[in-house]
Amino acid sequence: MKPRKSISRRQFIKSASAAAIGTTLLRSGQETAVPVKIGKSRVVLVRDLNVLDENGNPQYAVVEEMLDSGIKALTGMPDPQSAWKTIIKPDDIVGIKNNRWPYLRTTAEVENSIKKRTIEVGVKEANISVDDLGVLQNPVFQKATALINARPMRSHHWSGVGSLIKNYIMFIPEPDSIHPDSCADLASIWDLPVVKGKTRLNVLVMFTPQFHSFGPHSFNPKYVWKYFGLMLGFDPVAVDATGLRIIEAIRREYFAEERPLNPPAKHIAIADSKYHLGTADPQKIELVKIGYDKESFV
Amino acid sequence: MPENINEFYQNLPDTIAVWKKADPPSFYTPANLSTYIDGGAELFISYNFKNALSMKYTDSADNEIVVDIFDMGSAPDAFGVFAHSRETIDDRFGQGSEYAAGLLTFWKDRYYVSILAYPETAEKREVVFKLGQAIAGGIKSEGALPPIIALLPAENLLPETVRYFHHDIWLNSFYFVSNENVLNIGNDTPTALGKYRQDGATFFLLLVRYPDAARAEAAGRQFRQKLLDGAADGMRPTKEGRWTGLQCRDDLVSVVFNAPDAPTVRALFAKIQK
Repeated sequence: MKPRKSISRRQFIKSASAAAIGTTLLRSGQETAVPVKIGKSRVVLVRDLNVLDENGNPQYAVVEEMLDSGIKALTGMPDPQSAWKTIIKPDDIVGIKNNRWPYLRTTAEVENSIKKRTIEVGVKEANISVDDLGVLQNPVFQKATALINARPMRSHHWSGVGSLIKNYIMFIPEPDSIHPDSCADLASIWDLPVVKGKTRLNVLVMFTPQFHSFGPHSFNPKYVWKYFGLMLGFDPVAVDATGLRIIEAIRREYFAEERPLNPPAKHIAIADSKYHLGTADPQKIELVKIGYDKESFV
Repeated sequence: MPENINEFYQNLPDTIAVWKKADPPSFYTPANLSTYIDGGAELFISYNFKNALSMKYTDSADNEIVVDIFDMGSAPDAFGVFAHSRETIDDRFGQGSEYAAGLLTFWKDRYYVSILAYPETAEKREVVFKLGQAIAGGIKSEGALPPIIALLPAENLLPETVRYFHHDIWLNSFYFVSNENVLNIGNDTPTALGKYRQDGATFFLLLVRYPDAARAEAAGRQFRQKLLDGAADGMRPTKEGRWTGLQCRDDLVSVVFNAPDAPTVRALFAKIQK
């Protein structure tokens, strides 16, 4: 696979190399990280039944714990603060790319947990911004040296699923231009200067993923699944591919038959095969599972 | 039937129970539909969407019931976009409807209608149904189904699975066929798809009508080469032991997917009326 300059990608490759030669990996001026199985992208799945209250709303304290557990497992660091120091520097300008789709948001709980840990690293609050549709006009995103990509997983009428790779669509001035062939070339966006090499962490929110699209706004509460999960990774393709496996399995479970996503979420495989953004091959993904493990589907 | 989509707003009651019509409505065209339907506009555009009206009813607590009426330009396209995600057969509203967890959708003539009230309550459901009746009643005429739908043999067909489209992106509904447009499906090739169940086996029939026999033959030839290893008889088992079969007859291409055996494919082909 062709190496790219993205920090997340670089960290993955360095991690793999370090593990291969049995050494400890050090990033300049930062903490120790990260044994990862040779040649594999690590994806961490954290699940906690307490993350949703009786009304289905995320609980901030539980979300924060899940994020902390995830980042520790992803980096191999003993506590969240040192874990975040492996991916963010105090002088970074940090854009947290969320998703504001009204029916299924990144959630304020996830955004605020990320922001809190980023501030603890030493990043000035003025140098952090959370945004979706306005990223190209947002001064922090315009100057950003680091991006954190956080959004929920959902089925999508045109691209099969909307997940991490697709979340950068707002970094192009005309998002419609990427729509041909069911958004097959979404990964090309990740090569644009505005984002290239900046993504430090991907967080796929799987508290209540939507597994089927219905109606003009593509959403119906009947087709969301309480999964109680959060997935983290440096490789957005690996995280998306794992999330896609979960969505496909939920569809199989719900419909009691094979029911492929329509259209297929081919942009994830193409992100691997054509754009070399990461790996979609389960054999090349090291999945680390933390917490509740019933009906995890992976 | 309203001549103009604006008339729906004028004709609907100002109040229903405690719900009042909010002002003003919004109007959308293919050029700006994506500003309203985040991520879903392409679905409508693939069915030749013309324009849409969106209006709201609100109660004293600012809860909303959202009414969206889409003029699809033709009854076949209104049916197509409605049936795209249909899971059940329900004829209570218009020419076919579906209700799930606060969302009512139906089609009638060239209109596709959505009435959305999240989160669902019994009281809101009642208002949604009243609005549905009022809108469907305001559309006086009915539209014809796409003619190609009638070619799907009725025996063993699951009616709620009937789909109609003319864009290749919907080729993989129910069954993954290909990431490519292997049958050259386009705006001038009306396509029908249905799921069949027979003796516990589930299989699918796809029908594509081309403008002429030459294009049908070319599409069939491409399909045979890409997916059937060039099988001259158009029949090939999959590695899972299911059967795919292709038939070209004049301007119509028929494909059966996932059949349990070759005789099932041939029997289904034999039932297709020309």
